[in-house]
Amino acid sequence: MIVKYLLAALVAGLFSGALMTAAQEARVIPLILHAEEYEGGEAAPAPAGTEAQPPEAQPGSTHEHSALDIGAVLSEVAGYLSPVSVAYAHGGEAHDDEGGIMFGMSRFSGTLFANLVAGAGFALLLAGVSLVSGNPITVANGALWGAAGWLAVHLLPAIGLPPELPGFPAAELADRQVWWMATVALSAGGLYLLILMDGLAAKVAGIVLIAAPHVYGAPQPADITSNVPAVLGAEFAVAALATTLFFWIVLGLSLGFANEKIAKADR
Amino acid sequence: MAVSHVSSNSLSLNDRLFAGITALLLGAFLVFGAGLANSSVLHDTAHDTRHAYGFPCH
Repeated sequence: MIVKYLLAALVAGLFSGALMTAAQEARVIPLILHAEEYEGGEAAPAPAGTEAQPPEAQPGSTHEHSALDIGAVLSEVAGYLSPVSVAYAHGGEAHDDEGGIMFGMSRFSGTLFANLVAGAGFALLLAGVSLVSGNPITVANGALWGAAGWLAVHLLPAIGLPPELPGFPAAELADRQVWWMATVALSAGGLYLLILMDGLAAKVAGIVLIAAPHVYGAPQPADITSNVPAVLGAEFAVAALATTLFFWIVLGLSLGFANEKIAKADR
Repeated sequence: MAVSHVSSNSLSLNDRLFAGITALLLGAFLVFGAGLANSSVLHDTAHDTRHAYGFPCH
């Protein structure tokens, strides 16, 4: 019985993660690849691994500034076909240990795998909130559950830490991760109070919880100069938020569907 | 079998809480691994996903 609820979440999460991968390929991934051409220019001391990049990924090549041009598509295709993960040679990035994509997967396979894992994870979190709070997710309310998940995990944290492109200036990673996790947790708690609890006190407490991390303030970089063009950053922020909204709506709906089909099938 | 506190739900309260907490822990583990874990292999595999989801990266 319990396993069936977890299974329903897994099915919905894997389905949403697969669709998310397709949605990312339309806009988000080309923008990431485009930004990586600028990453590690003069700001980074040594653009390590530049020699391993395919010619179309070299900085200074003849790219138009549209994310959907032929060059970006070629670069994307080269990224898939290349056995070496060319795009991870981040200039100026200090990794202590050897990186590389696990199991020798291609870049696309790695992204698909990570999307499936993240999809299953977010689906389990959403199902967990639903089960613990005793508010079932159905097809009828699934999109609203998904939208609430998107608010808590993406839009509200993005107020302080907008989705970043590779090469963007940013504060210390650990500080940002702590702020991000705290903001997701506070936003989720605040939305729970705001949406699912009755009474004025709960609504006010919910708003206070949601506002608290932003009053405290997200960690910001000391130096905000970047080689990556600002237009790419603006396009990417909108594209990332739009695709994650798509992901969460699909996730909420498919979780509602899976709940009704799988979890309650034996009743 | 314990009497269910939620009539529209086929789970007893204990089962529902157990399933919910299990789902939360498992989900947090998966999201942490895909989005936040400080491992080069995990980072490189999930690189584009981390950026696309707006996880703090780099």
